Amino acid sequence: MNDLALRAINLTKRYGRITALDDLCLEVPAGEVFGFLGPNGAGKSTTIRLLLGQVRPTAGRAWVFDSDAADVARAHRSLAYVPADVALWPQLTGAEILHLQACTGPGVDLAYRDELVQRFTLDTSKPARAYSTGNRQKVALVAAFATRAPLLVLDEPTSGLDPLMEREFRLAVAEARDRGQTVFLSSHQLAEVEAICDRVAILRAGRLVEIATIEQLRGLHRAEVTVSYIGVPPPGLDLVPGVETVEQVSPGRLRFSLIGPPAPALRALAAAEVTALAIREPNLEEIFLDYYGAAESTR
Amino acid sequence: MITRTVPSAIGFSVPASPGRAVTRLAVRQLRRSGLIVLVLVAALPALVASTYTSVMADPAAAGSIAALAANPAIRTLFGEPIALDQAGGFTVWRLGTFLAVLLAAWAILATTRITRGEEDAGRWDVLLAGRAPLREVVARHLAAVVIVPAAAGVAVAVVLLLAGTDTAGAAVHGAGVGVLGLFFVAVAGLAAQVFPTRAAATGTAVAVLGTALLMRMVGDGLTGLGWLRWLSPFGLLALSEPYARNRILPLLVLLAAAVLLAVIAVVAAGRRDVRGGLIAVVAGRRPRLMLLSGVGAFAVRRMLRPLTGWAVGIGAYYLLIGFTTVSVTEFLADNPALAEEAARAGFTALGAVEGFAATLFALLALPVGGFAAVRVSALVAAENSRNLTLLTAQPVTRIRLLAAEIAATAGGAIALVSVAGFAVWAGITATGGDLSWLAALGGAWNTLPVVLLSLGAAILAAGWAPRAAAFAGSLPATGGFLLLVIADSVGAPAGVRELSPFAHLAPVPLTAVDWTSTLIMATLGVALCVAGVMGYQRRDLQG
Repeated sequence: MNDLALRAINLTKRYGRITALDDLCLEVPAGEVFGFLGPNGAGKSTTIRLLLGQVRPTAGRAWVFDSDAADVARAHRSLAYVPADVALWPQLTGAEILHLQACTGPGVDLAYRDELVQRFTLDTSKPARAYSTGNRQKVALVAAFATRAPLLVLDEPTSGLDPLMEREFRLAVAEARDRGQTVFLSSHQLAEVEAICDRVAILRAGRLVEIATIEQLRGLHRAEVTVSYIGVPPPGLDLVPGVETVEQVSPGRLRFSLIGPPAPALRALAAAEVTALAIREPNLEEIFLDYYGAAESTR
Repeated sequence: MITRTVPSAIGFSVPASPGRAVTRLAVRQLRRSGLIVLVLVAALPALVASTYTSVMADPAAAGSIAALAANPAIRTLFGEPIALDQAGGFTVWRLGTFLAVLLAAWAILATTRITRGEEDAGRWDVLLAGRAPLREVVARHLAAVVIVPAAAGVAVAVVLLLAGTDTAGAAVHGAGVGVLGLFFVAVAGLAAQVFPTRAAATGTAVAVLGTALLMRMVGDGLTGLGWLRWLSPFGLLALSEPYARNRILPLLVLLAAAVLLAVIAVVAAGRRDVRGGLIAVVAGRRPRLMLLSGVGAFAVRRMLRPLTGWAVGIGAYYLLIGFTTVSVTEFLADNPALAEEAARAGFTALGAVEGFAATLFALLALPVGGFAAVRVSALVAAENSRNLTLLTAQPVTRIRLLAAEIAATAGGAIALVSVAGFAVWAGITATGGDLSWLAALGGAWNTLPVVLLSLGAAILAAGWAPRAAAFAGSLPATGGFLLLVIADSVGAPAGVRELSPFAHLAPVPLTAVDWTSTLIMATLGVALCVAGVMGYQRRDLQG
């Protein structure tokens, strides 16, 4: 089996004059939990629908493991999918939908499925018409996690779940990772991506703006450093590479932002009598806003 | 009621009447299909009334009118013939029931679509979070649908007046058609309050329509049960006797019933939960895992319930035809002048059981072709509402998905046609007539190529222009039938007439199957299906 679970080359989708996805190149190695971030309308769902062969690309190609994404009979044998806005056959009960999905799907672990039904506290005797948004999402999540498909494609799967269920969801993703399943998780919930993903791609207005591990992303972005000292401030700090916007917060206290390795800044600080040093890493939200805000202003 | 104390800052507007916006929304959803129905309802009587003189010029035919009215079977099938000596009366007899059923069916489908359908799909949640309460929203939607039957009634009356018929008769018939449409808007509106799903509401209202039609037929046919007509909207329409006695009372009864039902519907709307009905959905049940083992089985499962409804309706109608066949054919055999008239109008050999059955079997392509179109458009609807999304993410090709639907629908169509064949055979045999069940089935199956054309046209649309699936699917059968009727009425050139598939149906079981045209139509139907599947394979899924 290919060691790439997902691969897209120059994947492009245009609807008339609107470009929903522009020249996306992406590789997701097998076994990875991959986050796919972007604001509403960035093209996340379009990308997923292209990867699933539900929508035909205007240009470019995509593969699921070794199969062309357009060859759904083969490609879908190795994936399970949870759509963003789950719609179920209103006349079928949860149990009947799970049965239909199991019969038509890539193989299912029935014992694990029953366990998931318990853990997600899903009442499968109700007709789908009576389910809330969260319950519809649970049906799709249980059906997907219960498969042994090597790739799980999850499109904003927790938007309707309460915090307890979200914890169950994270647990299920961890279990999937432990079994060696690849998870492709589209989301705009940054905390979720930060907590469970190995690598993240950021999409904005149909274009891929960044793809990196969460650590790398942090490294690429400004950390906030606060220094307390006695006596003279560290000289020449604003000339150190990577240091920006040095500001005197109060007498004997400086704050600056730092991009890249901290060694030169630490050497400069050594010249002063430093009493306290705090480095705050940016969270994903700030990184995200950085990308989004920057792109916004160049419009 | 509206307080004007809201600060009128720039860009902040409070519309004086939120209700008007609701009405505009309702009208928008109706205008296209409503216009089509209006045009049909106005054009057909104009056509028939203007060709009256050429049909009824023969005094021998006019002399048989009294005999015609006396035959119970004729009355059952076509309604009581009254005032056939006038263009107006003839038009009412020839078209009245057809137009009434057409308008009633439209009223039901349109009403449940824009009320319960919209609510069921969740689109009313936002609407009802606005200032208009549920009761007002329902009332305004019903009022919007009523515009069409009201306009249709006026149009019928005006058209009949312009054709030079009697004023009182035109007014009574126009009023009758309009009030009947109003009645079925009210029935469907009430069903939409009682049932929490669109399918249940539509099914119930259609069942009311079918029962009402059946009661009219029985009441017309059996003098002893004539009172049944007072209980049926179609019966009341017949009792108004346009161009003869021009009675107002039956129409007032119908109007009162319609208003009562509409009031109950609006009151009920104020007493129920949004997205709920007066009848609650079952909270839970044991899983029924039958026919969920694969895409094909699931296509059959989704079809079974609607198929049962169609089978009951078609079976009941054709059983009735079976029961009346012997009586009608004997009557026509005894009245050669009338039979000649019928032959001139395109109905040959009505005097023989086989000929009569063949003529009515041809009509079978209309409901069964409609069934095929409805099934395909239901699949498109499932795609749009994203119910299909989870299945399309399974290792199932789109060809298999669509092929399963085509196979299930074709199987359902064969079942429906067979039900009609057996029903006619059972009816004829029970009344002492002579028609073998093989001949009856042959006559029923003979219409399958037209059904296949309907299925093919619907599939073609599903592949290339999914929004048009229902319309395209109804073109070969309903469109073809209307084309033939109109072409015959106005004496259009043969080339136009030949466009209709019905022009190529042999009158089986009177004659043998025309295998050449059967094969040509079947091949064309299959080709349409293949082209549709190719489009479906290539296009983006919606939703």
